[in-house]
Amino acid sequence: MRGKDVRLDQVSIRFGDAVAVQPLNLTIEAGEFFSILGPSGCGKTTILRTVSGFIEPTIGRVLIGGEDMAGKGPNERPTALIFQNLALFPLMSVAENVAFGLEARGVSKAERLKRAEELLSLVALTGYGDKKPSDLSGGQRQRVAIARALAVEPSVLLLDEPLSALDLKLRQHMRAELRAIQKRVGITFIYITHDQGEALAMSDRVAVMSRGRLEQVAAPDTLYAEPATPFVATFVGEQNVIRGTLRRISNGAASVDTPFGPIEGREVGTPAIGAPVLVMVRPERVTLGADRDNRIPVTLKARHLEGPSVNLECVADGQTLTVTLANGPAMRDLPNDLVLGFGRDDALVYAEGALANG
Amino acid sequence: MSTANDSAGARLILNIYIGLFCLYLFLPLAVMSAAAFNSYDYPSVTQWRGFTLQWFVALAHDGRLIQGLINSVAVALGVIAVSIPAGLAGALILTRLGQRSGTVLYSVLVSPVLTPGIILGISSLIFWREFGVPGGLFVAVMAQSSFIASYAMLLFLARLQRQDRTLEEAALDLGASHMLVFRRITLPFLAPTAFTAAVVAFLQSFENYNTTVFAIGGEWTLVTEIASRLRFGLSPVINVVGVIFVALTLVAATTYVLLSSRKKAR
Amino acid sequence: MASLFRAYGRGLGALLIAIATLWILALILVPLGAMIEQSLWWKDSKGEITLQIDRLYNDMATLQLDASGESDAAKKAGFEAQIAQKQAEATALEAQETNPPKTYGLANFTRMSGLHFYIFIRTIIYALMVTALALVVCYPMAYAVALASGPRKAIVLTVALIVPYAINELLRVYAWLMILDYRGVINGILGWLGLVDLDNRGWIPFLENPSAVFLAMIYTYVLFMVFPMVNTLETLDRNQIEAARDLGASSFRIHRRVIIPHAKPGIAVGCIMTFMLSAGSYSVPAIMTRGQGGDWFSQLVYRQFFESNNWNMGSAYAVSLLVVCTAFILIMMRLFGVGLRDIAK
Repeated sequence: MRGKDVRLDQVSIRFGDAVAVQPLNLTIEAGEFFSILGPSGCGKTTILRTVSGFIEPTIGRVLIGGEDMAGKGPNERPTALIFQNLALFPLMSVAENVAFGLEARGVSKAERLKRAEELLSLVALTGYGDKKPSDLSGGQRQRVAIARALAVEPSVLLLDEPLSALDLKLRQHMRAELRAIQKRVGITFIYITHDQGEALAMSDRVAVMSRGRLEQVAAPDTLYAEPATPFVATFVGEQNVIRGTLRRISNGAASVDTPFGPIEGREVGTPAIGAPVLVMVRPERVTLGADRDNRIPVTLKARHLEGPSVNLECVADGQTLTVTLANGPAMRDLPNDLVLGFGRDDALVYAEGALANG
Repeated sequence: MSTANDSAGARLILNIYIGLFCLYLFLPLAVMSAAAFNSYDYPSVTQWRGFTLQWFVALAHDGRLIQGLINSVAVALGVIAVSIPAGLAGALILTRLGQRSGTVLYSVLVSPVLTPGIILGISSLIFWREFGVPGGLFVAVMAQSSFIASYAMLLFLARLQRQDRTLEEAALDLGASHMLVFRRITLPFLAPTAFTAAVVAFLQSFENYNTTVFAIGGEWTLVTEIASRLRFGLSPVINVVGVIFVALTLVAATTYVLLSSRKKAR
Repeated sequence: MASLFRAYGRGLGALLIAIATLWILALILVPLGAMIEQSLWWKDSKGEITLQIDRLYNDMATLQLDASGESDAAKKAGFEAQIAQKQAEATALEAQETNPPKTYGLANFTRMSGLHFYIFIRTIIYALMVTALALVVCYPMAYAVALASGPRKAIVLTVALIVPYAINELLRVYAWLMILDYRGVINGILGWLGLVDLDNRGWIPFLENPSAVFLAMIYTYVLFMVFPMVNTLETLDRNQIEAARDLGASSFRIHRRVIIPHAKPGIAVGCIMTFMLSAGSYSVPAIMTRGQGGDWFSQLVYRQFFESNNWNMGSAYAVSLLVVCTAFILIMMRLFGVGLRDIAK
C-alpha cells in the first residue's frame, strides 16, 4: 500500500443557501497522519465526505495523488472511509464484511476469504471471521471496520470520529493502535475528531476548523504553543483569558491595559493600538511569586487536587484565573493572598475574536 | 398489568364492552361455521338436522368453486408479481426525493388506497378495453395491483425509514457498484418486508370483491363466484368455504400469538 | 432525479424510475383519465337512424319496382340514378349506425334521473352515518387496545381484531346475511320462542331495513376505524392521563381534553377510510339487500355497466362518487389538520 497526497484547491461547499465550508486550500502529504479538529457543525465531516466522494464541492477541486476527482463517485476513489457508527453490515459475517471490498472487485471467494483472514490477524481478530458483528464488543467491531477498510488497499484512509462510541480506556488504547497501524501500512490517514486529545496524541499535523473556516494548520506542538487565533488558543488546551486595551507595540512586544494593571505580552497577528485585545495565558505557564515580567495579586478561592498537579482557582477583580502547578509539599498550606506571575513570552495578545465555547 | 387510570366501575364497563365487541366480531363467524355441519340444505343453526360432512364433499365436487379458487390464486400471484416491484420502486424513489417533489409523488402513489374499489375496477376496465383487452383475470390483476402496490409501498417506506443509510455508503466507499450495493445491502435489508408485503398482497387480492367484480368480465374468482351464487340463495357449501377460511386464519393467528409471546419472554 | 442517480446509480435508478412511471401511468393516472373521458361523451341513440335507413330501403324497393316496369331507357336510367343516390345515403347512415359520432359534454352528469340522484344523496348520508356509528363503536375498543390493557392483553385483542379480517370480506357479509335472513338465526330464535310464525311467512324482514346494511358494513370495515386510532393512541404518554387525573379531572374530561385531541389524526384517518369504503361498497349492499331493500349508489353504477351497458353513464356515476370521496378526504384533512403522510398506517 502506498499513501497518496490529498489536495483541496479552493474548495467551498454549500447546501442550498447554507455555506458548510468556506473556500479553503489544504494539502495533506502522502503518508501523513492528518487530523481535522473542531466542534460539531464546523464543517469537518463535510470535508471528509467531499474527499471520499459522497459530496461534490460546490466550487473548487479535490485532487488525490495529483488526480482530479471531479465526477468520480465514492466507489471510484482510492479512499476508504471508516464511519462514525462503523456501518458494519449486520447481516454478513465478520469475514464477509472484511472481504466485501474484494467481492466488489471481483476477487474469487476463496481468495478474498483468505485475504480477510490475513487482515483479521493484522487487527488481532484471528478466528472471529464466522461471527456476526453484533456478537463482537465495541473495540472488536472497531478493528473489523479498520480491517474492512484496509482490505481494499486504499491510498487514503478517512476516519470519521471512529472512537467516539468507545469508553475512555478503550479509546486511549485504540489511539495507540491506530497510530501503530498507520505506521505499519504507511498510507495517508485523515482523521476527524472533536477531541483535541486524540488529535494531539496521534497526528503529524492538525487542522483546526470553526464555522466552515480553517483556523490553523500546524504540528500538534506548534498548535499548542503558538495558536494562531483566539479560537484555536481556547479550543486547544486551557487558557486564562484577560480582556484589555492595546497600549503599545514594539517589535512584537505588546503592552496591554487590563483591569489587573498593565500586562506585557507577545503580539499574535496585528492588533491595532487602542483596540480591545485578548490576553491568553495557559494555566501551567503561571507561577507563584513576584519575580516575573507580569504580576497579579489574587485571592485563593479553591484548590483542586489532580494528583501529579494541582489547580488553583484564584479571583482578582471579580475575574477567575486558573493556575496549574506541579504537586508538592508547598502546595498543602497556601496563604489566601497570592501573587501570580508569568513571563512576557507566556502572554499572547490577540485582536478581539471568536472564542471556543463562547 | 392494568393501569390505574380508570376507576373499578369504569374498568368493569370497559371490560363488558370489550366482551360485547368480541362477541360482535366472532359470533357471526361461529354461526356461519356451525351451519356448515348441519345436514339441512338451508344454512341454519336454529333448525338442526344432525351433524354432517356432506357439504364438504359437495364443495370438493363443485367445479366452478374449485376453478374460482385456482383463478383467485392465479390473480393473487399476478398481483404479487406486479405490486411488489412497483411498491419497492416507489418506496426507494420516495426515500431519496426532496420534500416538495416527494410530496407530489407520494400523493399520487397513495391515492389508490383512498379511492373506492369499484372506481379502480371501472377505470382499469375502460383503460384496457382501449387496447382490446376485455375484462378478465388480467384486468383483475391490473386493477387490484393499482392499490395493493400502494400498500406494499407503504410497508417498504416504513422499513426504509429505519434503514441505516451509512451501510449503503460504506459499501459504495469500498468500491461496490450500485448494483452490488442494492443486491448485497439494500435487498437483504428489505427481504423480510418483501415477504410481509407479499403475504399482505396475497390476502388483499384473494379477498377483493369490489374492484374485481368490475374487472373480471366473464371469468370468475372464488369471491365473485360466491357473490353471484348468493343472488340465488344461501347454500351450506359456502359455509364450508367459510369454515376453511376461519380454520386457516385461527391456526395462523394462534401461531403468531405464540411466537410473539415467546419472543417477548426471551 | 440527480439525487436518485447518485443514490442508486444510472442503471438501477433508471430501472426504478421506469417501473414507478409504468405503475403511475398504466395503473393509476391513465385509467383514471380514461374513465373521466368516458364520462364526458355519449353517442346518439340508434333508433332514429335505423328508421331513416329503413325508409330509404323502402323507397329503393319501390323505385326498383318502378324501374323494372319501365321500358323507356331514359326514364329507367333516371330511376337507376335515384336508386344509386339513395343507396349512397343509406350506406352513409349505416356507417353512422354502427359507429355513431361521439358528442362531448356534461350530459351524462346532468341527465342523472331524480331517483338516481336521490339514491346518490342517500348513499352519501348513509355512508356518513356508518362512519359516525363506526367511530362511536370503535373508540372504546381502540382505547382499550392502546391504553387500558396490559401488553399481553393488547396482543390478544389485536389478533382478535385482525382475525375476522383475514377471512373474506364477502364471507363476513354472508355471516350476517345468515343471521338476518327471513329464515335466519334471529328469526329462527324468535320462531322457536313462538314470537313469529315462520311457516306463514310471518318473519321480521330485517334485510329490508337499511340498518341491516349498516350493521354488516360496520362489521366489515371496523378494522379500518380501529387501527388508525390505536396507532395514534399508542403514542400517548400515559403519564399525561395520570397527571390529568391527579389534577382532579373526571374520566369524561380526560377523554375529552387529553385522549381524544391526541387521537385526532387517527380519528381523521379512520373516518376517511370508513367513509370511502362504505360509500363505494358494492359487496355489502348488493349481498345484504338482494334487491329487497333500497339500492346503494354503487349498485346503480354496476347496473349501468353490466345491465344497461351504458358505460358513459356508468363512468359519470363513478366520477361523481370519486368527487364526493375526494371532497370528504380534503375536508377531513383540513378539519383535523392531518397530511397525506399521516394516512400511511
